[in-house]
Amino acid sequence: YENRVVIAFLYVLILQHNRFVSDSKGKEPDVLFVGDSLVQLLHEFEVWRKLFSPLHALNFGVGGDATQHVLWRLVNGELDHISPKVVVLWVGTNNHGHTPEQICGGIMAIINVIHQKLPHAHTLVLGLLPRGKSPNPLRERNASVNALVQAEVASLSHVSFLDMDPGFILSDGSIAHQDMYDYLHLTPQAYQKVCQPLHERIKSLLDKHAP
Amino acid sequence: MCALSMNSIFLLTVELLNFHSLQSDLVNHCCSFPLRQHVRSLVVLCLCCRLRMSAEENPAAEPAPVIDVQGDGRWMSQHNRFVQECKDAEPDVLFVGDSMVQLMQQYEVWRELFSPLHALNFGVGGDTTCNVLWRLQNGELDNIRPRVRKRFFFICSNSFNSICYEVKCVFNAGIAFLFVFPQVVVLWVGTNNHEHTADQVAGGILAIVQLLLSRLPKCKIIVLGLLPRGEFPNPLREKNAAVNNLLRTSLPQLGPVQLIDVGGGFVHSDGTISSRDMFDFLHLTASAYRTISTSLHELLLQLLEETPQERRASLV
Repeated sequence: YENRVVIAFLYVLILQHNRFVSDSKGKEPDVLFVGDSLVQLLHEFEVWRKLFSPLHALNFGVGGDATQHVLWRLVNGELDHISPKVVVLWVGTNNHGHTPEQICGGIMAIINVIHQKLPHAHTLVLGLLPRGKSPNPLRERNASVNALVQAEVASLSHVSFLDMDPGFILSDGSIAHQDMYDYLHLTPQAYQKVCQPLHERIKSLLDKHAP
Repeated sequence: MCALSMNSIFLLTVELLNFHSLQSDLVNHCCSFPLRQHVRSLVVLCLCCRLRMSAEENPAAEPAPVIDVQGDGRWMSQHNRFVQECKDAEPDVLFVGDSMVQLMQQYEVWRELFSPLHALNFGVGGDTTCNVLWRLQNGELDNIRPRVRKRFFFICSNSFNSICYEVKCVFNAGIAFLFVFPQVVVLWVGTNNHEHTADQVAGGILAIVQLLLSRLPKCKIIVLGLLPRGEFPNPLREKNAAVNNLLRTSLPQLGPVQLIDVGGGFVHSDGTISSRDMFDFLHLTASAYRTISTSLHELLLQLLEETPQERRASLV
């Protein structure tokens, strides 16, 4: 019985990947968003329609994905048949059990694959957000990942880093549920807060990219 | 032998008391509060024996918190927030369950249709029946306070008749009082019970309903059916449908409880589910929530309208 459940799970994940692969045929996105549930849920709120649809964006976020899952998806078809000018990468918070160095390594591996497959695209890596209601080791881990990634991409011309935290941590160290309803995922209001600067950055990258 | 005698006690109790009359004015009149609790507990105990829902036999009916393995304690933080939230809130409707419930609050439809009904949302992503059972037993129903209506105050106590309009306190014994718990609870859980069979999941849901009925005696309960999932036909769809079928007949036997199946229409004629309805073939999009919310909202309005008459206690 358990095997059937596991097989059903894998089946669903593969189907979602297949949908993305077939999505990428026949569409000509200028911007590709890739990552975990923070990317995936972005697509379900009004902010996507207002800020990112007009930029001809595709959303390849999958809830629960860690760096190795995103890497697998990009190597196995999701970058074929499209040539976006900007790839927005937001992944790493689900890498449980990995050190900040390993997570940074995973993100760099993804950046390399994107550069191999799309040599003319610019990759915008988004910083991991703090999480949890009160201070905890995962906040420190995510902050370390951000520092490491920021240092590594500083010397690369085809990559840039954007810190996505508008100040979610309050003075008492807590995160409000009005920003993260489960202290991990963003509410629509919080998405508005983080997406304004993201939208500006993407637009300026697209302008630079234009002939 | 034990089962047989419990069955007899069950039938006798039901005959004598008629489950619905537990809420009648007559019983409120005649029984003091502690006795009513004993009688209620007896009926629930009989139901448990009859329907064989003991935790030893069914792991899906065993209350269990989520252990923090990731390192940021988010599940307990959410539970603690709900315990706090119901301290001062006076919800007419309480939504409880997994991410299907939790995510609903993030869409516009919640603000439009359910906030106006004074609804609280106690959904936590990933929860199984065990987790919901634990949360309800460990504080999320504790602080919902009785509320006294303005109209009643004028009738019963002259000294208050020009002052208090929304007094939130309990009257002492000797004076009839009016309890207003959440009038309706909407329960939506079961799709995450991956280690349990359909029978066990249905049993877990029944255990939650029994808990709600015993803790919130004047409450009506809506159980939402488990939705189909996955892009193509798969074993989990069959399992969820089996759970719904088991609940359809057994739920109404427990009291003012009904199963509402909102899953019809998601599976197309070719057997697929569209990502426009479920963006990851499990969780609903804004438009899909809107579709299921209209009938749920209408039913809630109907149930909320029905209750004022039943709730008026007779005066001593």
